Amino acid sequence: MANTDPIRVGVLFSRAGTTSRVEISQSFGTLFAIGEINDAGGIDGRELVAVHYDPECVPRNYRLLAEKMVQEDGINVIFGCYMSSTRKAVMPVVEKWQRLLMYPTPYEGFEFSRNIIYTGAAPNQNSAQLAEYMTRLFGVRVYLVGSDYIYPYESNRIMSDFILERPGGAKLAERYVHLDATERDFVSIVRDIKEKQPDFVFSTVVGKGTRMLYQAYADAGLDPSKIPIASLTTCEAEVSEMGTRIGSGHITAAPYFQAVDNQVNRDCLSRFRAIYGDDVEPNMCWEAAYFQVHLFARAMQQSGSDEIDRLLPYLLGSEFDAPQGRVRIDPANHHTRLYPRIGRVGDDGRFVVVAESLIGVDADPYLVSHPADDWRLHSDEIGAVGGQGRR
Amino acid sequence: MIGVCTATKLEPSVAKDGAERGVAGRVQHSTPDLLRNLRNSRVMVFHPKDADGEMLAQQLQRIGCQVITMWPPLPELPDTVEVVFCAVRPDHAAVKCSWMGGEQSVPVIAIINYENPTVVDAALRMGAMAVIVSPIRSAGILSSLAMAKHAHAELRDARRRAARLEQKLVSVNQISEAKAILVRTRNVSDSEAYRVIREQAMSKRVPTEEIARAIIHADGILSFQVHP
Repeated sequence: MANTDPIRVGVLFSRAGTTSRVEISQSFGTLFAIGEINDAGGIDGRELVAVHYDPECVPRNYRLLAEKMVQEDGINVIFGCYMSSTRKAVMPVVEKWQRLLMYPTPYEGFEFSRNIIYTGAAPNQNSAQLAEYMTRLFGVRVYLVGSDYIYPYESNRIMSDFILERPGGAKLAERYVHLDATERDFVSIVRDIKEKQPDFVFSTVVGKGTRMLYQAYADAGLDPSKIPIASLTTCEAEVSEMGTRIGSGHITAAPYFQAVDNQVNRDCLSRFRAIYGDDVEPNMCWEAAYFQVHLFARAMQQSGSDEIDRLLPYLLGSEFDAPQGRVRIDPANHHTRLYPRIGRVGDDGRFVVVAESLIGVDADPYLVSHPADDWRLHSDEIGAVGGQGRR
Repeated sequence: MIGVCTATKLEPSVAKDGAERGVAGRVQHSTPDLLRNLRNSRVMVFHPKDADGEMLAQQLQRIGCQVITMWPPLPELPDTVEVVFCAVRPDHAAVKCSWMGGEQSVPVIAIINYENPTVVDAALRMGAMAVIVSPIRSAGILSSLAMAKHAHAELRDARRRAARLEQKLVSVNQISEAKAILVRTRNVSDSEAYRVIREQAMSKRVPTEEIARAIIHADGILSFQVHP
């Protein structure tokens, strides 16, 4: 007799709090994929049912709600987490109860858990490419500004290494703002940037502070075509929030932008918009949240179970034609092969892909120092980029 | 983890310097060599063939190390090995290996399964610079590796320095003694005695310590003949 019980899966992204905007987009990416799987008949006739709780960007809530999912809802697989502090909060729960967390967010690397699959970029898939691109096109004098937590510290370490190894390379300042920073915090920073005139600004500000930084930057009359802000996290979600005038000219490294030019992506975007409209802006985190559910569903189709020991053999090494390209989960480190890209916000407020890797790059989460030159061998630079040009 | 933090954190000297000068040359702001070179470490893992040993080897490979796993421990290490992870088992603790402490040592990280004094003592006698506890988790291995390499390098430098200082102390004493002999036997001043020693050293192209030792030696022989 066939099992027709629904399969409950956990969705643990915040609807309120500092990084809720991008986490909401991750929820929608997850629910969109679940909907597609159910529309195609579920997993062997079993419907996927999302159990979604709102941890409000508080790490402790992620832990408590993950416990609740495991103990009360009998959930084996959780899709969730954005900030590293929230992933670290859920990790002991999935390790203790032998469950699986699928984590669709770029993060700082230096982690492996048998109970986590990482589908966002590791630093060798975004930081290295961004550092190389920015120093080559804009210069080697950088101003670092970030939110005060581990991801910015580690991203700044990599950027600093890269900058200080170059002739004339200089770190003009390294400043951190609280995750709950207000407009005022950014005014003094932007004033300092204006005074110091770096070649570019590297921002690892996340959440609501992102809009405030770019807003203050525009208000101070700083010109992104000459001194752009480069980021690893500012995506379509934040740019749509800040508005076209403010975002235009700034640069982000990510494996996915809406502008990725292939049929899988175009189809995916039109299906998504047909259902959810234009309120949610697809972005790198949305895309990872989307494709990781499909990777899970395919693995479960083969294993017939969502228990980690049954699921992992099929999940590890599996591939999927994601909107960014064909991704693959590395069996050795549980991270994902992705396609590094550089996007620049155009005058219409939409990211234009200005450089992209032609082949997938495997994650190397324990890479300490990043060699600079390899990605240019297999990347394509599209169109002219403004700014001060080669130096 | 989100740190407790003030609104801004700014390196004071960077803020003052402003421009490239002073900032560009600040090597301490880039990642230290110890951490940069971790991934190229050639690691020997002495661990029984089991889930823990496998977990350890896999994590070291993720970090990027070259790993060889063996059990029981070898008394001598291949020359290429830079770091040892070794399981502490009381039945193997008595075996003395050349790489445990002393001049030939490499950084050793002990893997212990019981935290009782017998096992901890065995880890100490092994010369362990860091400890990881079974069951092994992936977290903690990189840090232990870094701590052990760092502590080992510090200890090696401190030992070399101590040896140099000991040698220096002996030389200083010998020169003092030689000067005293000259003052006594040649009836010269202390500074004149030192000048004689230095001139001898320069003309014979040997260190002053060697001349001092020759004087002390000769004095011993002559004294013996004068006062039988």
